[in-house]
Parts: sequence; structure tokens; C-alpha cells
Amino acid sequence: MSLAAVMHSIQSIGFLTDFRESALAYPVVMSTHLSCIAVFGGMILMTDMRLLGLALKNYSVAEVVNGLKLWKRVGGTIMICMGLLLGTSEADKYYPNPFFWWKMTLLCCVAIHAIVFRPLVYNHPEKIDEAAAIPARAKWAAVLSLAIWFGILTMGRLIGYYEGPKA
Amino acid sequence: MFVYDPASNPLNNNEWSFPLLEIIHIAGFTLSIGTIAVVDLRLLGLGFLRLSPKEILKATAPWTLVGLIIMLTTGPAIFSSDPLMYLHNFSFKFKMVALLIAIVYNYTIHRKVALEGGPSPGAAAVTGAVSLALWISVVFGGLFIAFV
Repeated sequence: MSLAAVMHSIQSIGFLTDFRESALAYPVVMSTHLSCIAVFGGMILMTDMRLLGLALKNYSVAEVVNGLKLWKRVGGTIMICMGLLLGTSEADKYYPNPFFWWKMTLLCCVAIHAIVFRPLVYNHPEKIDEAAAIPARAKWAAVLSLAIWFGILTMGRLIGYYEGPKA
Repeated sequence: MFVYDPASNPLNNNEWSFPLLEIIHIAGFTLSIGTIAVVDLRLLGLGFLRLSPKEILKATAPWTLVGLIIMLTTGPAIFSSDPLMYLHNFSFKFKMVALLIAIVYNYTIHRKVALEGGPSPGAAAVTGAVSLALWISVVFGGLFIAFV
């Protein structure tokens, strides 16, 4: 069974078909996805800016990283659920869309980023506060996080502009 | 007489500028709404409790403003690509009203309560909830432009 066939059978699941064809549910879920980006994406941005020493400098890295952690997770969970609904219900359309696959690739990069930088930075933010200057590893974590997330936002928006394979 | 023809707008004459503006617009409101939401969650008593709402507002306000400026620059540019379509779009009108209320609210009631503390924790929580609801309405209004 090809990937295209798998994608097709996913979107043919009853409730996903209903969802796709609903005039209201689809845009509501999309808006919720976008609202989560606004509310919780801003928190990722602020964490990264603090790690770069560009914002919230009156607060320790530990305060910012630990304070925002729970809410970033809540937001991430809602966003992933909404994203799964959007993606699986239109799986046929997303399958040939290169921007969709770029977005998925970048999401894998988020996971790799977490595996690499959690032990180095995010799990021990107090160590960054103890250092005389913000260590390079924290700045790298922030720059890469900003780049990956901005890429995800960009690819996410561009998914909607793809018009199908060139004839 | 000046007649504006959207066909002459550079935004309608290449493939990349319109999506690029939208992406910057989304990044801009992520910065502004995200920083406002941090204050809102504190007002709601749901997080960041070690810091006062006043401290959080002061730390985030400059970034909220940067985000607002980005969003209020890219927004009208996007609007200029097809003004008549937007003006006749119910969701766009809803978004503009919600946006106006949200901005005024943010710099009046919301700011005052965050800086001075509300009359009660309950009132502060309501202030935060209203703020979140207003900004989420703006996002919904924006997305629904493409669906009404």
C-alpha cells in the first residue's frame, strides 16, 4: 500500500470526512490552531529572547524558562490536536504538498532540538544564571529554536498556497 | 481624480509578496498577543505567580508594542491588495471592531488593573479573561475572512 493510499484511507474515516465537509468546524479548528500560535508561540519567542539576553533581562533565565514551560506545553498539546484534525481530514491534498512535508520535517527538528538542548539548557536554567555571561549553548538553542519555529510558521502558511503538481 | 486600481499594487503582481506579508503579520501578532497572554494568565492566577502582574506587564509591554506595530503595518498593506473585498467581508468588519476594542481595552482597563491591581482577585481574573477573549476573537475574525 502506497503512502498516498494510506493518506487517502485516513481522510476517509467517517468523522474526518464530516469534519472536512463542515462549513463551520473546519475554520473554527483552524482559528483555534492560529490562536494557539498567537498565545503560546509568543511564549516560545519570549523564552528564546531571554536566552539571547534581548528581553526580560530583569528576570532570571530560570524564572522565564520554568514560568512559561507548563503553558507552552498546554498550548503545544492543543495545537497538535487541532493540527492533526486539519492534516488528517485533508490528507489527500496534503500528500503532494511540499510545504506540508517541509513543515513535518521541521517539526521533527523541534524534537531533535528538544533531545539535544533539554539536558544542555532547558532542564537546568539556573546554571545559565550562575554563569558570568549567557553561554554559547543557550544562545544556539535560542537561535535554532527561533529559526525552526519561524520556518514552521512559514511552511504552515504556504501549505495554503500550493496549487497541486505542475501539469 | 485619484482612482485606486488594486491591479497596480505590487502585492498582486508577484507570487511571493502577499504570503510573505501574511507570515510577518502572523509573527507580529504572535509577539503581541503572546506577551499580552502572559499578563492575562497572571491576572487569572494561572501562572507566573512569583511575579506580580505589574512586573510582568512592565517586562512584556515593549515587546507587545513591537508586535502591534508589525501587525498594524502589515495588516493595512494586506488590506490594500483588495480593499473592496475586505470592506464587504463581514468577518473583516467583525475583526476591525474586535481589534479596536482589544487595543483600547489593552491600554486602558487591562493596563490599569495590571499596574494597580484590581478591586479584587476576581475582578483581575475577569480582566484577564476578557483580554484573552478579545484577542482570540481578532484571530478568529481574521481567519474567517477566507471562509465567509
